[in-house]
Amino acid sequence: MTPMLDVRSLEQEFAIGGGLFDRLRFERGRVLAPRKIVHAVNGVSFTINRGEVLALVGESGCGKSTVAKTIARIYRPTSGEIRIDGKDVAILGHREMLPVRARMQMIFQDPFASLNPRQKVRDIVAEPLLEQTAGRAARAEVTDRTLALLARVGLNAEHAGRYPHQFSGGQRQRIGIARALSVNPALIIADEPVSALDVSIQAQILNLMMDLKDELGLAYLFISHDLSVVHHIADRVGVMYLGFMVENAPRDALFATPRHPYTRALLSAAPTIREKRDVAEIELSGEVPSALNLPSGCCFRTRCPFAWGRCTAERPTLQAVGDDHTVACHLIDEPERDRT
Amino acid sequence: MTAPLLSVRDLRTHFHTFSGVVKAVNGVSFDIGAGQVMGLVGESGGGKSVVGFSILGLIDPPGRIEGGQILLDGQDLVGAPEEALRRVRGRQISMVFQDPMTSLNPLHTVGRQMDEMLRLHTDLDAPARKAACIEMLESVGISRAAERLGAYPHQFSGGMRQRVVIAIALLAGPRLIIADEPTTALDVTIQSQILKLMRRQIADRGASMILITHDLAVVSEMADHITVLYCGKVVERGLTRDVIGAPAHPYTRGLIDSIPDPRHRQTRLSQIPGTVPDIRNLPVGCSFRERCPRAQALCAQADPPLTAQRASLHAACHFPLTEAEAP
Repeated sequence: MTPMLDVRSLEQEFAIGGGLFDRLRFERGRVLAPRKIVHAVNGVSFTINRGEVLALVGESGCGKSTVAKTIARIYRPTSGEIRIDGKDVAILGHREMLPVRARMQMIFQDPFASLNPRQKVRDIVAEPLLEQTAGRAARAEVTDRTLALLARVGLNAEHAGRYPHQFSGGQRQRIGIARALSVNPALIIADEPVSALDVSIQAQILNLMMDLKDELGLAYLFISHDLSVVHHIADRVGVMYLGFMVENAPRDALFATPRHPYTRALLSAAPTIREKRDVAEIELSGEVPSALNLPSGCCFRTRCPFAWGRCTAERPTLQAVGDDHTVACHLIDEPERDRT
Repeated sequence: MTAPLLSVRDLRTHFHTFSGVVKAVNGVSFDIGAGQVMGLVGESGGGKSVVGFSILGLIDPPGRIEGGQILLDGQDLVGAPEEALRRVRGRQISMVFQDPMTSLNPLHTVGRQMDEMLRLHTDLDAPARKAACIEMLESVGISRAAERLGAYPHQFSGGMRQRVVIAIALLAGPRLIIADEPTTALDVTIQSQILKLMRRQIADRGASMILITHDLAVVSEMADHITVLYCGKVVERGLTRDVIGAPAHPYTRGLIDSIPDPRHRQTRLSQIPGTVPDIRNLPVGCSFRERCPRAQALCAQADPPLTAQRASLHAACHFPLTEAEAP
């Protein structure tokens, strides 16, 4: 069966450095205007099946949100394929994307910035639907659908006539979810959907997302930095670092037997109110290097406590270490170097 | 027991807005002994940051401290003249803010901002101040400290900037540090570095800390005591292990249960229903009763006072949870 989403060797670069005059340089008697390139996503591949939840985790700057936005085609990828129901949408134009968007919708992190403050809730929720039907949908039908969606996410008909500022953060995120559901998508891309919310409200939104998944058979690409949330919601977890996928595994395997040193460091750094997991602690020093100048070899070697010569010389590729579990680390070949 | 370093008694800080009086802090009391770390937790709007600002006398109109006492070594800071407060800020009590981007001045070098703290609060001469700054930067883990003094905040990363902010807060040797969400803006591996640094620095200097955060996991790893705020009131306080292990107040319990538990993965998280009520318009009786699974008729009539429960716990609840009901 074709997967819902199949991403292959996705790369996303951004040119920065301002205007021409900011970049002008004179070198050896020549005038140059070099572009600085941020390598945000470097050859990421993964699949999501129907009804499956894949979580992408990693720290800020690891490219997880860029992956989400590129798949949602907010960005045009530098290279690679984004197959939705088997069809590559990586280079489709705006108009050709319209039917694809009926299959795939996005929920954003900031419930304050992602709703138009000048639109009433009913117009916000109906907009994707009207867009899909080029505005030809019958008015009564759209109204019914909007009210049904609001009811489904825990709001009522009275809320439809209000503006976003009249709602709390959790309620706004419900509106965002209703908007995403309006076109009956099969895949929802959720970029940190609960990280702006208080913990008691977080639980409400996570429960709602899980119920909707079971009810409608949705697949999620769930972006988060919070490992306890990821553990709760995900079927599979992909760990990203500096634009690379360093480990990809079913949830239980990843949390029980993390293999990449970065994954292990993330798990041991996460504070918890329960007893620490039974994983040898790895503490990281230093910070993430700049995506302008990627390190040679392994992206993680500058902070890795185990790094040796090979890690500078050769970039590790993802290799299978177990059932559906892949890791990009040279330690897999030379386990005796793991001194924990 | 010796007299506490800081004793907050029935603190009430209100904001007089056009749409009504916001009782952001409404009768909060707690003590902090020397060398203790107290976690002040709660959700947005609970009043936890306002408590911190009140202690430092940083409440601006339309806000006002309406009543209560803030006793530092028995000396009341409420109503103290600005001149006296200035001698307290930085020297006795210093603050670490959430956002290291905005709590440093982008126009001055890090060295100048550190030097200012020593110039105001110590009698050291310029070379001694510089040496103290270098030593402090090194002790918070910034290498090439002498060189870095000449750098501007934008030349540091977020984690490094927060280290600088902590260094400044520690410079004048304060006895109490108020840290308002010090790691919320940071990534988890950096957060763990900064928390370890703060814990070590506090212990080495015998200072006390109020750690203000919404993150129960962070306080449970850092604090000796926890005080839980809801709608401007203390709903529960006690030793960390008692509060986390077997809370008496249903709100604390709800917060703990809302955190996904990797050991028992259920399909649904237990959630606190509803949202925090409008603080200008709190329900009569207990502020939490509309969201509380244990609420009964009594809760709508009388606001429960903070009373001693089992172990070290104090809770403001008519129907507190027993130890047998612990998670």
